[in-house]
Amino acid sequence: MSRDRNASQGAQDAAQAADLLVTVATTLNERLALTAGELGRSQDLLREASEELMTAFRGAADRIVAAQKVAPTSDIERSDEYGKVLNHLYQAVEHLQSHDLVNQLIDAQKLRVNKMREKLVEALSLARPPVVNPGQPEMWIERSRQMLDCIVAGISEIDEEARVPGSDRKRAGSVDLF
Amino acid sequence: MKTILAVDDSATMREMVSFVLESAGFRVIEAEDGAQGLDKATATPVDLVITDQNMPNMDGLTLVRSLRELRDYKTVPILLLTTESSDGMKAQGRAAGATGWLVKPFDPNTLLEVVQKVLR
Repeated sequence: MSRDRNASQGAQDAAQAADLLVTVATTLNERLALTAGELGRSQDLLREASEELMTAFRGAADRIVAAQKVAPTSDIERSDEYGKVLNHLYQAVEHLQSHDLVNQLIDAQKLRVNKMREKLVEALSLARPPVVNPGQPEMWIERSRQMLDCIVAGISEIDEEARVPGSDRKRAGSVDLF
Repeated sequence: MKTILAVDDSATMREMVSFVLESAGFRVIEAEDGAQGLDKATATPVDLVITDQNMPNMDGLTLVRSLRELRDYKTVPILLLTTESSDGMKAQGRAAGATGWLVKPFDPNTLLEVVQKVLR
């Protein structure tokens, strides 16, 4: 009788532990959904701004490249105005690259967040089917172990190497010829 | 007119590189990844290849190794233009047969100086 009571108490404790993991996975998934949404909004704003800049850039770039094609290089180089416009466009090139790199960085972070969420959803799906023998603690423990594995796999996505643009600004623009 | 192959999976980066090179009188062919770059380099001989490193389908280092196996590209200069800046990656680039390594974001005037230098 006492053994049965102990087993029943053990199963209750194990079931509570499994519920706790469901709460953890659900909360993490909700927080990550917010993060994914914010990353998406930031990317939309950046893309909008970049597209406007790119349109302005293309207008000027196309004209200057066309001018370069119709006139000999030496004639164009003599034109101060051409040189000034080209310098402005070259400065724009540097800044537009930064926009592009930030966009890639956001993409990489979104991918990470999505991979984490996939694992958490997988953990939550493990909690859905009813336990075959709910009175046996082992059944709950096994379920918790599988869920925990998924949650840990999700968290470890943070460390996964993604195609993230480098962040070493000191080396930006550096050149090595071999 | 010298022809340069610019390989990058970012359309914006390809556009920036192409603009700078075309403004200096070069003809530019673009490719979206290493595999497409290899196809285009094989189809049309080019005088210089500028490639990104991290790309889908085929990365920059694999492209360099693949090109160096082709008779026509044994001596053609190949530049890596990438955000990767570690010494380890640069050493891999050198071992693969790359001519040089430029770290993004690039300065247009510096890019043109390097291009003129390696094409000499």
